[in-house]
Amino acid sequence: MMDPNDIFYLAMCGIILLIGVVSLRAFGGLSSIALILILLAAVMILALNWVDFVVFPLFTKMFSIIVQPAKDYTIVTSHDALLKNVGGLYYATGYVTGNLFSYAFKEETEEEGVESQMIQSADKWERAIMSLDFPFKFHVLSVGRDVQKIRDELEGKRSYQEFQLARALENEKASSETATIDIRRQIAVIQAKIDRISAGEKPVSTIMYFETTAVGVSEKAALDQLTTQIKQLQISMSALNLSLSRVAGRELYSLFKFNFSIPLTSDEISAEFSIEG
Amino acid sequence: MDSKIFLTFGLLGVALVLFFIAVGAPAYFVPYPLKILLLLISLLFDVAAFAARRYSYIMLPLLKQHSKYIVLSNEEPYWLSSSGDSVIKRQKGEYVATAYIMVPFYRSGTEMNEEEKLEYARQMSRLVGVSSDPVRFTTELYLMNKDSYIDELKTAINNAENEEAQLTQGDGKSEQLEIVRGRLTMWRNVLESSSAASSMELITYASISASGTKEYEAVSLVQQKAREVMSGIGSTLGVTPSVVTGREILKFVEPEYLIPFSTISQQMEKKTEEQVI
Repeated sequence: MMDPNDIFYLAMCGIILLIGVVSLRAFGGLSSIALILILLAAVMILALNWVDFVVFPLFTKMFSIIVQPAKDYTIVTSHDALLKNVGGLYYATGYVTGNLFSYAFKEETEEEGVESQMIQSADKWERAIMSLDFPFKFHVLSVGRDVQKIRDELEGKRSYQEFQLARALENEKASSETATIDIRRQIAVIQAKIDRISAGEKPVSTIMYFETTAVGVSEKAALDQLTTQIKQLQISMSALNLSLSRVAGRELYSLFKFNFSIPLTSDEISAEFSIEG
Repeated sequence: MDSKIFLTFGLLGVALVLFFIAVGAPAYFVPYPLKILLLLISLLFDVAAFAARRYSYIMLPLLKQHSKYIVLSNEEPYWLSSSGDSVIKRQKGEYVATAYIMVPFYRSGTEMNEEEKLEYARQMSRLVGVSSDPVRFTTELYLMNKDSYIDELKTAINNAENEEAQLTQGDGKSEQLEIVRGRLTMWRNVLESSSAASSMELITYASISASGTKEYEAVSLVQQKAREVMSGIGSTLGVTPSVVTGREILKFVEPEYLIPFSTISQQMEKKTEEQVI
């Protein structure tokens, strides 16, 4: 879901494109070229909004842009690894996303078999670790959310579902039985979440990621070793049913900064990872 | 004004001016091919304005430095506080202190029944919600630095060898000589097995940050927050966490502390031997 900031920036930059489409006649016989250019710009803007982690590394690689985020550290041109040179040895660090579970308070549907997954998780985690012979870190960045706000949101959703149910019951003949069952199930899920908050459980947002470091006598050796390690990490952790993808682009810089200072508020985290929320 | 907003609106302003020239100027004054060129430049500025919302941290230095090697900072990413219990970073005119809390949690799924495993997983879920401030929990697998341990073993072997030599030259009892020889064999075996493979250690820690206008203010605030988090961790997991101090902190922030130098040279020697064979 897009946050209001994203919508604002999209609208601001989209104005030019819209006016351009309306004023195509101003380009006379070359209006078709103008339309193609406007469409290309629209595609670029949308790509930057949704898949900037693909577009930005392509750009930095194409123009061989190297970034130095701090003394002794460099971000490579592909923008998917950090390098540090210590006494002639290169240490390459890369990150992999690894969200263990979906955001419980964002999801409307309760996952089935959660309990059995939780029972198996300890063994799976230990087996995964034992199969790895290189250093890595698994980070869980958590931030507590406003309990009252979440409760209000949930109560609003419950009221809406109850209204839907009342309407479905009124038109009992028209609506199918499965529709009412589905609405009742949704209400039960929302109620269970409200009960969990009432029982003292705190809603939290989490960002989970892996970090691994490889060493080599040259930049290439370190980066190749890092790629091998990341692949091994992805294979070993796949048993935990994680979504594992290598971090590239601006998020790499954010995660690098987290090593030395954690964001102070949930808004700061949202600004860094708008998609994750 | 925030540099990000300034850059976005600056680029958007240029895009709008160029766009209105392209659209509004009469064809006898600005010919159509020139209009298309102006439109193209305007759209590029529009796309750049949209990109600035997330990439201003790179775009501004890129514009200023005119180089493919962009230096975001030439300073050390952090420094240790004088009290030795926090990492300090200067950020947006403020000092941000980060404290690291060691969590001595050593339980394995292999020694638990199903109920205990479920409770263990629930404990972990509760752990991420111990604080309303952002907290990062990390599990780190790293290669142990066995240099000092190996040195101790070598000293023990030397001592045992000296003792053996003294007993052989003198008229020591044969029983005593056998004991010393046995000890010598034991130390040699321990040294051999210790050097043969790299040892790994798994640790768990939490990190939390706080800001202040003065360095000591940030440190004092983060230590206060750390105490709150420690009490939360203690009551959730039933362990006694402690704030990490001194050079131990480097293990969490510096990549070279994940893989000790002696281990790297060993790995390289092994690799070379394998290649030769």
